[in-house]
Amino acid sequence: MGRHPTWPIHLALVAVSFVMLVPFYWVLKTSVTGENIFSYPPSVVPRDVNLFYYVDVWYYIPFVRFLFNSVAVSAIAVVSNVVFNALAAYALTRRFPGRKWVILLFLSCMMIPFQATIIPAYLITQKLGLLNTHLGLALPLCSTIVCIFVYKASFEAVPRSLIDAARIDGVPDWQIIFRIMLPLSKPAIATNVILSFIWSWNSFLWPLIVTRDKAMQTLPLGLSTFLSYLENTTGALYAFCVMVLVPGIVLFLLAQREFIQGLTSGATKG
Amino acid sequence: MFQLIRTKRHRELALVALFLVPSLAIFTLYRIVPLFWNLGLSFTEWSPFKPAKFAGLYHYEEMLFYDDVFWTALWNTVVFMASAPIAIALALAVAMLVNGDIRGRNVYRAIVFLSYPLMTVAVGIIWRWLFDGKVGLINYVLRGLGLTEKGISFLDSFEWAMASVVVAAIWQVIGFFMIILLTGLQSIPRNLHEAAAIDGAGAWQRFRRVTLPLLRPSIFLCLVIGIINSFTSFDLIYVMTGGGPANATELLITYVYRAGFVKNQFDYAAALTVALFVFFLGLTWIANRASGGDAGAVETGE
Repeated sequence: MGRHPTWPIHLALVAVSFVMLVPFYWVLKTSVTGENIFSYPPSVVPRDVNLFYYVDVWYYIPFVRFLFNSVAVSAIAVVSNVVFNALAAYALTRRFPGRKWVILLFLSCMMIPFQATIIPAYLITQKLGLLNTHLGLALPLCSTIVCIFVYKASFEAVPRSLIDAARIDGVPDWQIIFRIMLPLSKPAIATNVILSFIWSWNSFLWPLIVTRDKAMQTLPLGLSTFLSYLENTTGALYAFCVMVLVPGIVLFLLAQREFIQGLTSGATKG
Repeated sequence: MFQLIRTKRHRELALVALFLVPSLAIFTLYRIVPLFWNLGLSFTEWSPFKPAKFAGLYHYEEMLFYDDVFWTALWNTVVFMASAPIAIALALAVAMLVNGDIRGRNVYRAIVFLSYPLMTVAVGIIWRWLFDGKVGLINYVLRGLGLTEKGISFLDSFEWAMASVVVAAIWQVIGFFMIILLTGLQSIPRNLHEAAAIDGAGAWQRFRRVTLPLLRPSIFLCLVIGIINSFTSFDLIYVMTGGGPANATELLITYVYRAGFVKNQFDYAAALTVALFVFFLGLTWIANRASGGDAGAVETGE
């Protein structure tokens, strides 16, 4: 291996990276110039860089409102996943009658894709009076089975003696979770946060069904509505895309390792 | 005394079982109840403001014998699924490239993976525009290469729409497959390759006889994810084509949405959902069987 020159590999990888990055570059360029829309042929390097389209997005659509809705829904989903899943996972590490059945139930629930339940899920949310609310938007995502198993695996790795000692000292179970288990399970918490954040932040079908008015739309929904009445005719659409994508990209770059680990453990366990 | 310990322990366990309540409530409300409600709904004639009436197999008859769109959507779902092996092959190639001892491999990995966690709606809008007939980058390149005179409106064309959507889907998922396959590659012991090389196996033979067989679990995992994606890729289709032109990109999931929430035929959409679910379960079961039962398996810790 060592004797072979590595430049062909680099060449291939640069080509792959190029294909993966060009869409981002093109969208960024259009969002600051708009020139591919009005002039042909397009130039590769941006000319006349300006932020007009960003200003448009900020003022002509309730961007801040959409952002607030997205943040609210994701916050509800992330916090309840971190807490509820930890509780459930801890319960599953204890032997109690019927434990096997609960695990079996969880595993079979995992085989039901959420998309296969949208009609009754909508009717249930309606009956609960939660249509068009942040809670209604977040509720189906508030606990996820994959994340419970991620916690469970991590809790099982905590030394038994530590838990037994705490129990003998009379520490109640909920304190064992929050004082002992969670501080020792930081990677599992990270996985929970990242998965529930990505799922709720990117969620589209559910908000599309559940929201009624514009004031409750989340970012992906606002983006698609914007597309439906503007078509491709303005750079503002792409400025909007960039504004929506940037938080995700920044988060990814900051916590790359956790992202990749979290998403793959989400898949291998799900 | 023993009695006391027993009741104390029971009380403790009851408390622990309480910890399951929030999660169980959510799964009951949004997985289990909907599953059965949906099944019931598919046998009734019902719309939001009318009383329900038992309809027997009426919706299923309609779906199977009179609804061409259902069969188109089913076929498209299969086509979408069939793109998974292409994505896996490409991802495997990239994974093998970044598995080597080369400088900057983490940067390459990050670049390839970057598209996966991003919002699919935005990804769809970007690709919709790259594919645009007049000002799209792809047409610009094709024209520059002299492959086409006037631009192809990929997403409006009956022949190209599905392929275009599939390209966008592959672009988004490839980094994810790459990471899964990379994990698989790294679990192959190095000395296996060395032993095969000493025995005179060429690079291609080593790939076929050592790498591929040992990668089987990872490849099957990717395949299962590909199957799941073909049933859940609503966002991309909705934004890029809306299921058109003339249902050319209609998947089962987009059709369920359209029947239920655009045409307000909740009962019929429920029957479609049942078909989707049965098809999904059947496929994942087959995939699981074919892989020897460990693709996507969860260790229950029993």
